[in-house]
Amino acid sequence: MSWRLRVTHTTEYRYASPVTQSYNEVRLTPRSDRRQNVVVSRVETHPATRAYRYTDYWGTVVTSFDLHAPHTELSVVGSSVVETGGEVAPTGGATWTDLRGEDVLDRYTEYLGWTDYVPRDRELAAKARELRRGLTPVDAVHAAASWVHSQMTYRQGSTGVHSSAADAWQAKEGVCQDYAHLTLALLRAMGIPARYVSGYLHTRADGAAKETVQGESHAWIEAWTGGWWAYDPTNAIPIGPRHVWVAVGRDYADVVPFKGIYTGGAGAGLTVTVELTRLA
Amino acid sequence: MSTMTSNGRGDGELFRGYLNPARPHAGAYDEMFSADASVRSAYRSLHEVLAPSDVADLSARSDALGRAFVDQGITFSLSGQERPFPLDLVPRVITASEWAKLERGIVQRTRALEAFLADVYGDGQIVRDGVLPRRLITSCEHFHREAAGIVPPNGVRIHVAGIDLVRDEAGTFRVLEDNVRCPSGVSYVMENRRTMARVFPDLFARHRVRAVGDYAVHLLRALRNAAAPNAADPNVVVLTPGVHNSAYFEHSLLARQMGVELVEGRDLFCRDHTIYLRTTEGERQVDVIYRRIDDPYLDPVHFRPDSVLGVAGLANAARAGNVVIANAVGTGVADDKLVYTYMPEIVQYYLGEKPLLPNVDTFRCWLPDERAHVLDRMSELVVKPVEGSGGYGIVFGPEASAKELNALRRKVRGNPRGWIAQPVVQLSTVPTKIGDKLCPRHVDLRPFAVNDGNFVFVLPGGLTRVALPEGSLVVNSSQGGGSKDTWVLAPRSSTVESELSGPGLVQAVPLDGVATEQGPELTASQQQQQQQQ
Repeated sequence: MSWRLRVTHTTEYRYASPVTQSYNEVRLTPRSDRRQNVVVSRVETHPATRAYRYTDYWGTVVTSFDLHAPHTELSVVGSSVVETGGEVAPTGGATWTDLRGEDVLDRYTEYLGWTDYVPRDRELAAKARELRRGLTPVDAVHAAASWVHSQMTYRQGSTGVHSSAADAWQAKEGVCQDYAHLTLALLRAMGIPARYVSGYLHTRADGAAKETVQGESHAWIEAWTGGWWAYDPTNAIPIGPRHVWVAVGRDYADVVPFKGIYTGGAGAGLTVTVELTRLA
Repeated sequence: MSTMTSNGRGDGELFRGYLNPARPHAGAYDEMFSADASVRSAYRSLHEVLAPSDVADLSARSDALGRAFVDQGITFSLSGQERPFPLDLVPRVITASEWAKLERGIVQRTRALEAFLADVYGDGQIVRDGVLPRRLITSCEHFHREAAGIVPPNGVRIHVAGIDLVRDEAGTFRVLEDNVRCPSGVSYVMENRRTMARVFPDLFARHRVRAVGDYAVHLLRALRNAAAPNAADPNVVVLTPGVHNSAYFEHSLLARQMGVELVEGRDLFCRDHTIYLRTTEGERQVDVIYRRIDDPYLDPVHFRPDSVLGVAGLANAARAGNVVIANAVGTGVADDKLVYTYMPEIVQYYLGEKPLLPNVDTFRCWLPDERAHVLDRMSELVVKPVEGSGGYGIVFGPEASAKELNALRRKVRGNPRGWIAQPVVQLSTVPTKIGDKLCPRHVDLRPFAVNDGNFVFVLPGGLTRVALPEGSLVVNSSQGGGSKDTWVLAPRSSTVESELSGPGLVQAVPLDGVATEQGPELTASQQQQQQQQ
């Protein structure tokens, strides 16, 4: 079972007064891999800019552009058509002993370390020990994700873009970014290399063709248990044809979809819309 | 050496008690005297001049040196205060054969570091081949993922390197650390020489000292070579953080000598991934930026967003190939003090050679058995933080109290990656004027290498820093150090330019004839008289 999806990610800024200089980087271009095939993808800005595109350290396609004409509105549209594959089954086989091996520790050192978003936390480490008891690494990933799903309440506005896994755990609520960070914190505490995935999710499981739905900029995780495989802790579902991935990194900071600095134009209003259409 | 001559001058009076066996670190290698108090060949003619001088003569010259420095406004900042950087009047001498060895070693090291950086910010073969652990690289504070995939047009990332050398008890030069971010100090090398030549022209007449004044020529060539080949006449600028930076003098000196603009971040801007300089005649595209701003301040888009010193968009302009940043962003991963300990492996891996310059023996606290050794023997070792410069945070085990050592042990256990330890290397000593006498004081050496892509030029000499307090092994200017003029002697057979070798100063010039027809210029004989006043 595979889908063909159109994704349109629109970011619109409105400034109270004109912005005279603005430098931005966006990560809106999905990548092809064994599960996902990018048919076409482009990033457009209004006002028009001369964009420069490169691939960053994590392998993500970055579009960089700057604006010098005074403007009070900026819109950036990333649109892609992507073919997605069926549901992802866990790839596994690695034992806990394998995960403690010197070569795994070294190769995946960046996905085992602590970051600002995924900090070392005593309480979460204790929970991680409890969750993994008696389980294989693959089952431990499922256990961690289900536990996060059961403990957290999905609520927008309760956490911000800078909230860490520890903040989300204190609040017991958050959005997909917090679910992902919290799961990463548990997995890394268990010694399972784990990374953050940013992408899009089609919100209808049955997904009627040609119907456009309001989707969301989504985040989930990938874990290494002898091979990388992804799981969506926010919805407690495996990654399937509804998921389109864009970037992976240690945490949100490595995959920020829109980042920039500007001068002038106090008070920015921001609107983000993601539209997904199943084409076939 | 202590006999008094009839004219009242103390022959050797200045050196009395120099090799006092009770002095601290008496085992250190003295560069002028061997253990049996005979004068080493490099210093023989210098000693011949200095030994008969009397205290008054020395003081007069020393005052002249100090005045010259204050007049030129050469200062450094010590805990926030601007002070003149004291220049000692006894030069440090390196023979031609010693230098030839050093030069080869520095060139080799620079090439290995270049290859290492190209690999680290490229495919990471050295990690894939298991020669270095990936953790070593990814845990470096100055490993900037933002620089991954940026390939400079001529492949050079380290346009200027400063390799800090010390001389151990056996007299062997060893590398103490590499500086490949924005090594500073070359202006002192040039200014020290200029001042010494003014105050001691007689010494230069007795030695064939290799010139250091053309450094800026080599630097400019390297920077112009670094530009993309499409820039026919590359526009080079020197980017300084501003007048409040302790090395501002150096930035302005280099810009002036190269004949290029000295700019601050606000003079530049980026449009469509191209860097422009604002001038009174409009915008001018910039091809090469010799930056003296640290990476975190360079580009607020990628690094600290609150920095106003840098230029927004600079990193992506470099990535797009429209501008070259010298030294490149992220070179700090190569001068990390833990990466330093792997230099033998790095040199062997990329060049297939044995390192010509040995490292100082170093224990790595992040390896469990070496850490155990360090914790055990801490009172005999120098423990250094991997991050940090200027001599801050270094603990000398033998001088530390039990309480300090315990605090240090906790710090090392808490962050093993952050610390290395070395045996107390007794840096070599050179006679240094202290009060009315010449006493042994510890020195290091920072030679400067400039890579233009085809050829690595090593400035003959370098900055010799001297620790002025008795027994001190910390030479950093920020810790009360001074400097010395460093003389690399030309080989007897060579034709290289030596300092003050112009025809006007050669003693054998005939006193009649052409010399007197040179107008208002001083003739050779007049100049000689002036020098010997």
